[in-house]
Amino acid sequence: MKRLLLGLTTVLALIGAMLVPAAAQSKGTVYYLVPTLLDEFQTGSVSALEMFLKQVGYEMQTLNADNKTDAQQSQMNDVIALKPAAIILAAVDFNALKPSIEAARAAGIPVVEFDRQITSTMSDFTSVAGTIEIGHVAAAEAERLLKEKNGDVKGKILQVLGDPGDPYTLDIQKGFEEKMKAFPGVTIISQPAMQWEASNAGTIVADSIVSNPDIDLIFNHAAHLSVAAVASLEAAGKKPGEVMMMSSNGAPVGLDLIRKGWLNVEVEQPLYAQAAAVAMFMDKIVAKAEIKPGTYDILGLEGTVTGEAWGPNIKIPGAAITKDNVDDPKFWGNLKPPATPISPVP
Amino acid sequence: MTPRTRRGIEFVLDNLVWFMLLFVLIVFSTFVPNYFQLGIFANIIEASSVLGVLSIGLSLVIIAGHMDLSVESVAALSAMAVGILFCSAGIGIGVQLQPEWLAVPVSLLVAITVGGLVGLLNGFLIVRMKMNAFIITLASFIWVRGLVVAVSGGRSAQDLAPAIRWFGIQRVLGLPLTAWIAVSCFIVFSVLMAKTPYGRHLKMIGGNETATYRAGIRVARNLVIAFVLAGAIAGLAGWLLTVRTSGATANLGVGLLFNAFAAVVIGGVSLKGGVGSLPGVYAGVLLLSSINTAINLMGLPANFTQVIHGLLVLAAVMLDTLKQSVRRRLA
Repeated sequence: MKRLLLGLTTVLALIGAMLVPAAAQSKGTVYYLVPTLLDEFQTGSVSALEMFLKQVGYEMQTLNADNKTDAQQSQMNDVIALKPAAIILAAVDFNALKPSIEAARAAGIPVVEFDRQITSTMSDFTSVAGTIEIGHVAAAEAERLLKEKNGDVKGKILQVLGDPGDPYTLDIQKGFEEKMKAFPGVTIISQPAMQWEASNAGTIVADSIVSNPDIDLIFNHAAHLSVAAVASLEAAGKKPGEVMMMSSNGAPVGLDLIRKGWLNVEVEQPLYAQAAAVAMFMDKIVAKAEIKPGTYDILGLEGTVTGEAWGPNIKIPGAAITKDNVDDPKFWGNLKPPATPISPVP
Repeated sequence: MTPRTRRGIEFVLDNLVWFMLLFVLIVFSTFVPNYFQLGIFANIIEASSVLGVLSIGLSLVIIAGHMDLSVESVAALSAMAVGILFCSAGIGIGVQLQPEWLAVPVSLLVAITVGGLVGLLNGFLIVRMKMNAFIITLASFIWVRGLVVAVSGGRSAQDLAPAIRWFGIQRVLGLPLTAWIAVSCFIVFSVLMAKTPYGRHLKMIGGNETATYRAGIRVARNLVIAFVLAGAIAGLAGWLLTVRTSGATANLGVGLLFNAFAAVVIGGVSLKGGVGSLPGVYAGVLLLSSINTAINLMGLPANFTQVIHGLLVLAAVMLDTLKQSVRRRLA
């Protein structure tokens, strides 16, 4: 009994020690509902949003849904009760959160969609790179790489998707394949890495290079999948550059692989710019002021705000990272946040 | 029925999972393009290494009549510990040891110790404090994965020290050393379970804990050792996972637990405890890996692969149930 009580006290003390006291408010607290903390883009988005919001006078609290839609719905309900200045939502499920968004807005709390666009209901602001557009950028790079290697846009591509239940990967696939349709000489083999787990991608690559030794290019839908893909290629006796490879999201591991010669292209999601855009417009969002369509300079990138059926939407284009520009500090994968503080849009 | 026929049927039933594996391999080799080649069979064995090792630890605990849901997270934590210490990019701090080969035993020790400690905590709470194994190991499954996310900050480690990575690249008889490590583990633990008093005691405990205790066998000690072994073996699986992927990510190994359970059940281990053998479990692991490889080669629509995977596992388990039914009729 004594041991049980001691154990219980220890566990409670540990939990207590981890609870951080609520931050003091300035312009207000913004809640960021992040879908998961199991990938580098999402963890990077937490620190980027926190940094930029602080620069414009807001505190930020983050809630992690562990990729569970129901958990995120509960978090939305809890946050609505706290009446924050705004909610930033990167939805686990693009449609399931619609009632929660409507409930928050009905309670007078502005809702910002981050990274994952929700078009089925109105939001106060949306900041995205455009997952379909990432597929388009990747297709343009695949076209260039195949032409350089084979003299024409022809060959075999292994496309390693993320989890097939995640609309993010399906949108990239859609964008990539709709552009590659123009090249009948290109064969695309698509396989999903269940739950975005790296060793699943490694197995797919190991199997595919044995069954299809003529694969010219591997396109992984996330940089961390490329790490396992490289491990499989290495185990099969391949050298850097022997099989061309590209991936998307621009995570630090992808940039390292470019430097080592394994990866030809990383299609970046402009994380810093996406996060900065949210912070730059936050005063207007909280005040429910009009956000005018047009082009805005977001950390040196051109962000285009359009008035959509689901509210004001800023789209910032992704960029292709190659060995020629891999060290450019503007890429979030280099983990060098912009030194100059941002200012709110007047 | 003649004794010879009965012996024949019993032999088939005892090794049904191996026959299922053979059947599946023949079917896939016949109908799936490019499946029938040595490279693919080597891939199947290689891809089974992590799941295989993880299933050994899980089998020990299940045969002893308990359960360990934490093995997947424990493997991830061990992988992350090795990744942070011995990877030189990402969040890896790239510890350098002289001579370089020292990184191998030290990283193995780290992985096994991390796993063993979680196993010890599980064992202490379940056996000494008489808490429910399902709940305690479920809690460990959650907090250990949380610890992986916390220590990594969601980032990944890559570029594993070449001395350790060597095990994932070097091949003997066409198979990478990681696969040989898994095969060796199966041999060692199969002998442990079949030929040593400890193995026999675990089976007895799983069959009837009270009777085993009354027979003078130290049930509590043996059970705690089983949980420590399950944790330590999961740690080894984590080490293999790091070697295989040349690094560690926060979601590394996600989903392994359910595959491990499927392999253990298909391999003939009873979830009620007291029944099962490790060679059968290895056949179960190879069966799952063969199915995965076939799915990879068939180029099935991404949205359906999980459904097909689940149905094939269900078919394998139903065949196993049929086996039990035939065995009862024979008895």
